[in-house]
Amino acid sequence: MSLSTKHLLGIRDLTRDDIALYLNTARHFKEVLQRPVKKVPSLRDVTIVNLFYENSTRTRISFELAEKRLSADTINFTASGSSVSKGETLLDTVNNILSMKVDMVVMRHSASGAPHFLAKHIPAAIVNAGDGINEHPTQALLDALSISEKMGGLEGVKVAIIGDILHSRVALSNIYLLTKMGAKVTVCGPPTLIPRYIRESLGVEVSYNLRETLEWCDVANVLRIQLERQNQVLFSSLREYNLAYGISRRMLEEIKKDIVIMHPGPINRGVELDSDVADSGQSIILQQVENGVAVRMAVLYLLSSQNPTA
Amino acid sequence: MKILVKQAKIVDPSSPFNGQTVPVFIENGIIRQIGNDAVSADQVIDLPGLHLSPGWTDLFAQFGDPGLEYKETIESGAAAAAAGGFTDVVVIPNTKPVVHNKAAVEYLVQKSRSLPVNVHPMGAVTREAEGRELAEMYDMRASGAIVFGDGLHPIQSAGLLVKALQYIKAFDGLLIQVPEDRSINPHGLMNEGIVSTRLGLPGKPVLAEELIVARDIELAAYAGSRLHFTGISAGVSLELIRKARAKGNTLISCSVTPAHLFFSDEDLQEYDTNLKVNPPFRTPADRKALQQAITDGTIDTIASHHLPHEYDSKVVEFEYAKSGMTSLETVYAVLRTALPGVSQEKWVELLSVNPAKLIGLPAKTIREGEPASLTLFQPDVQWTVGTASLRSRSRNTPFLGRTLTGKVAGIIHKNQVVLNQA
Repeated sequence: MSLSTKHLLGIRDLTRDDIALYLNTARHFKEVLQRPVKKVPSLRDVTIVNLFYENSTRTRISFELAEKRLSADTINFTASGSSVSKGETLLDTVNNILSMKVDMVVMRHSASGAPHFLAKHIPAAIVNAGDGINEHPTQALLDALSISEKMGGLEGVKVAIIGDILHSRVALSNIYLLTKMGAKVTVCGPPTLIPRYIRESLGVEVSYNLRETLEWCDVANVLRIQLERQNQVLFSSLREYNLAYGISRRMLEEIKKDIVIMHPGPINRGVELDSDVADSGQSIILQQVENGVAVRMAVLYLLSSQNPTA
Repeated sequence: MKILVKQAKIVDPSSPFNGQTVPVFIENGIIRQIGNDAVSADQVIDLPGLHLSPGWTDLFAQFGDPGLEYKETIESGAAAAAAGGFTDVVVIPNTKPVVHNKAAVEYLVQKSRSLPVNVHPMGAVTREAEGRELAEMYDMRASGAIVFGDGLHPIQSAGLLVKALQYIKAFDGLLIQVPEDRSINPHGLMNEGIVSTRLGLPGKPVLAEELIVARDIELAAYAGSRLHFTGISAGVSLELIRKARAKGNTLISCSVTPAHLFFSDEDLQEYDTNLKVNPPFRTPADRKALQQAITDGTIDTIASHHLPHEYDSKVVEFEYAKSGMTSLETVYAVLRTALPGVSQEKWVELLSVNPAKLIGLPAKTIREGEPASLTLFQPDVQWTVGTASLRSRSRNTPFLGRTLTGKVAGIIHKNQVVLNQA
């Protein structure tokens, strides 16, 4: 089996078989990670650059760890204090790095479509680690792995994605993945944070009522309120957001149903999730992080075997 | 200079030769004889399937002089216009400095005097085109600004716009406005809809256009002054204009760009920065409504929205790419290719007759004794858009490499002949 794409730009471009292959390979690597010797030689002599034009802690560390476990050579680049501050274009930066014989690019960027732009202009394989408000495909894959471990599969699972859907690349990638794999998806949040055409474009249900949504779902994937993206008036205050859309222990007890709580991190405690929910037994937030490394190993491994030059 | 156009079909509703295929003889810039090719000429133009119409006029193009010469100079812009069949071009005031006073207008008029194309400055309505204080429009008018508008920065304040409309009424001025409310999703990068949602790109809703069209129709009616919407992109805007006309409002006119008749938001799947334009390409249904409005007469003119940009400004992330495309040279071919069923008479009405009338240019007609202001074109010739043939300084067009139907052969204007290579 092999992938239908040369890069991982988004879940949008993937087939069901691609997704299944990524997930199965990730399960294999997850098993590897339980061994006393966690390092495998799969990507020996492959050089990967982690290009982070936006801040990230967890995703960057997760990729880096995945690369090290696969024995790849890695270099890290962050936008601040780099050539970007001297006005260099993305293409120049990447071409300079590639001329030092780098094989793969992992990139996070604030502009939607930036990795697609790069893919048109450079020969290396590209892994999208989040682009603007578009996609975050490895997050969707690790979320899917986590859901399927907990629920025994994805088909027919009812997943609620709650919060800032409008600015969330996690939401878009999750929606693509879950709907392709037969799960049912409802997005829930204030109307100002939900794209107006989401129902007809993506085939999901829309709810503005948190309580009803929690009663419906098996899994609640709660998104971070992206304070750094609020360049417009989209809700009045974090306090009011918490009142209407924050998930509390009490609410979970009232719905009398043991739903799974997920969050891509970092959590704004007391805004979208109260601490006693985030840290409860229903939460699989730390398992998501653990699965992240296995998923990213699978992605890098499969794409490098897809691109023989890499 | 004596020029003989050996055989050409005349497309000019005001000419007694309209519809006839005849020779046309031009001497020292004047049409001397129609129907006789037994003349001696310095230059003979003999091209297959040649059509001849009164010279075309574009109402919305950007040249970069002064300040943005790396995008387009007056000379390269005029050459692009001539190659596209335009004898007259209105250039928008968004240069550095802005064309907002007499000196800036006179600079353009002087600098373009000897060119084969008439360059007509659009005077800014407000100082620096910032939408705050009125610019000296009487003075600019007297110096040669024939229309007014803030170009790429549509006027947002209703109070200011109504005063501007009243102000220019004194000389029957025309105000040109791109219909866009900038307070609505100001960070939108493409049409808000199914495609933008799927692509994860911030959307700009039709609402932003609709509101300004609805509002400005009322402002023009109140002021009793003429207003032209350029670059209409959505079906709802056309409905509003039709309704206003049905109620007797004759002050409103509108134009569409060729690209909006050709592309829709579905063409942005690959984040092609050459398709980033403002107003954005809307849905296929909107495109269809625009196409229908060409034939039913709702749309008065074609506007090129020629916005040349340097190479580097488009080889970047979609969000950072500049909006607009270089377009003067492909206007006719794009129209012909998008709407092959539309008659040549209709295109001449939209490219020549109507825009000239709107901005008050003297009527052009193909008759003996009249000045020769002519566009030569071949409706059925196919050609491939290539960088080598483009006269614009910029190459930011999505049509590069595409084969289009309908070719402009050139212009005859101001006693000069500018021909494209066959």
